Amino acid sequence: MSPTGVIEGGWEFVRAAYGVSAAVLLGYGVTLVLRFRSARARAERARKESS
Amino acid sequence: MDLDDGRPAAAFFFAGLGVLLLLAGSYWGLFVAPAETYMGDVQRIMYVHVPTAWNTMLAFTFAFGCALAFLFLGGWKWDSRMEAAMEVGVVLAVLVCMQGAIWAKPTWGVWWDWDPRLTTTAVLVFAFAGILALRHFVDDPVRRATWSAVATIVAFVDVPIVYYSVRWWNSLHQMQSTPETVSSAFHWPLRINAFAILFLMIAAISLRSRIAALRLRTELAPPPPAPAPQTGTAAAEATR
Repeated sequence: MSPTGVIEGGWEFVRAAYGVSAAVLLGYGVTLVLRFRSARARAERARKESS
Repeated sequence: MDLDDGRPAAAFFFAGLGVLLLLAGSYWGLFVAPAETYMGDVQRIMYVHVPTAWNTMLAFTFAFGCALAFLFLGGWKWDSRMEAAMEVGVVLAVLVCMQGAIWAKPTWGVWWDWDPRLTTTAVLVFAFAGILALRHFVDDPVRRATWSAVATIVAFVDVPIVYYSVRWWNSLHQMQSTPETVSSAFHWPLRINAFAILFLMIAAISLRSRIAALRLRTELAPPPPAPAPQTGTAAAEATR
């Protein structure tokens, strides 16, 4: 920070914030797709067993 | 059975739209919008932090609406949607805390402070994460849905407290921004990213509620028919 109170630089924080956001959103999205496939396969198996 | 466990085409459409908008809004915020006078480039974190915070509140508000709908209207789809909205809300709330910590370090000098806004947000995360965790310990779907709907309504009390915390108490966190307090140069990337995260949230809730509905369908399905009793000759054949 400069003597005037203005924050100088700080791009590393900006990169970190956007990187964390991308990682969390992408990671959660991937887990959702994998969990959906697994839940659908389990439900299909259960339906076949009960019929 | 009143479940929405169909094909998730709409979820993938909203996810695609959300990703495109997020790329456009983030590009605008990072490389086109001007730096802020005092915070400089660090202020560019606003274009992901504020939309994430808005949509966190929206996700928990939707969970609250689903809890009321389950209790007063009935229908398993409301339980699935409530579970989905809570989980997506918790993921967004954790993300908003991480983004906020990264923004706090260069501006406040600390990663975290027990300030009213941050504390009430932490309470929100733990309350809804706790409800989600406890749902795993109740096997009876009716009891699980009923008590978690009641718990969601109780936990939702913290949402308006989070929103008004910066007005009610002396907080390090700045007050809510409005078009009157934010320069027009910053509006567009903020709005584009707000819609981007809204669409991603809709996609995530839609897909997650289908996962919950598929699990419920398995839980609520009648048990498979017992094997028919074998006659003496058939039993002898089977044991031979």
